[in-house]
Amino acid sequence: MLRSLWNHNIQHGLKLIPHNTVIIKSCQNLLLEHIKLLATKSITPESTEKSVQKKIPKQPFSPFQNTSSNFEYALARLDDLISWGRSTSMWPITFGLACCAVEMMHMAAPRYDMDRYGVVFRAAPKQTDVLIVAGTVTNKMAPPLRRTYDQMLDPKFVISMGSCANGGGYYHYSYSVLRGCDRIIPVDIYVPGCPPTAEALLYGVLQLQKKVRRMKLALIWYRQ
Amino acid sequence: MERILGHTISDFIKAIKQNGGIINSIKVLHRMDAIKLGKLVGQDEFGNKYYENNNNFVCRNRWVVYNEQLSLNYDASQVPPEWHGWLHYKTDLLPHQDPSRKKYKWMIKHTPNYSGTELSYVPYSTVKPKIEPWNPKK
Repeated sequence: MLRSLWNHNIQHGLKLIPHNTVIIKSCQNLLLEHIKLLATKSITPESTEKSVQKKIPKQPFSPFQNTSSNFEYALARLDDLISWGRSTSMWPITFGLACCAVEMMHMAAPRYDMDRYGVVFRAAPKQTDVLIVAGTVTNKMAPPLRRTYDQMLDPKFVISMGSCANGGGYYHYSYSVLRGCDRIIPVDIYVPGCPPTAEALLYGVLQLQKKVRRMKLALIWYRQ
Repeated sequence: MERILGHTISDFIKAIKQNGGIINSIKVLHRMDAIKLGKLVGQDEFGNKYYENNNNFVCRNRWVVYNEQLSLNYDASQVPPEWHGWLHYKTDLLPHQDPSRKKYKWMIKHTPNYSGTELSYVPYSTVKPKIEPWNPKK
């Protein structure tokens, strides 16, 4: 510090600092112009409207469109009816095991409000369609999980929630933890995250609804 | 009832007019569970329309109406990233008003979630399998 009073070079450097800042300030305009060049093209509602509508084909409600006979057509509509009923009343069983269960509660709370999709928590396995495995499945908890799954009535679906339930996650190398709940029960939807947000879980439920809508029980029964 | 009616009856009538009459409003109600009155602020490349009405609460004042061709098969992953930030209050600037958005050649086109369709990603292994099947004829 003191040496700088006598050292000419350092003083010269100090004098340059305000000079340099002026250079930086003048550069800013150039930078802004460069950024503007890189910016996205302007999107106006009128310019894209007509070109876009043609690109995407109209998607029907039912995924079963290619039916060969009238009877198959009737069965496909029956499938639609069944899947509509199933997908709009998915009742999960509360299987909260760890911190993921808190996010599962958030999904039930008013902000994310799973009730509007017909998702209502039930306590008894006999009354439920979906098993949400929320949290770390330990070796000790594995038999009750399997028993709960067995007690549920068909058709039953499983949502594996969080990295612990998906594949062990943080506790993968623990001596007492199951490395993923899909080792003991079949899983339909994996929700990643540690813990996943309530939004992510709700998205998982919606994906499961889509999966249920693709089920064709009556058509498969007829074709067999 | 407040969700449908909005603040006043006049707003309700305006909302029904904006949604294209009574029959179309019932269709919209079936599709989106709400009839909303708002200003169209933009449209993305997939035909989703974005609306804003600042008379509503924050978190209810910006919304997306997915492309009508999709009917009920819409999905949150169909919102492209340039609109995601505006829709989720990361920024107040619309994509075409924000000069700091970058657009490079190597940026890939946004795709929705293809899980459950033919285009879904299937992981594959490039490593030699550790378990070899037993062939009794050898």
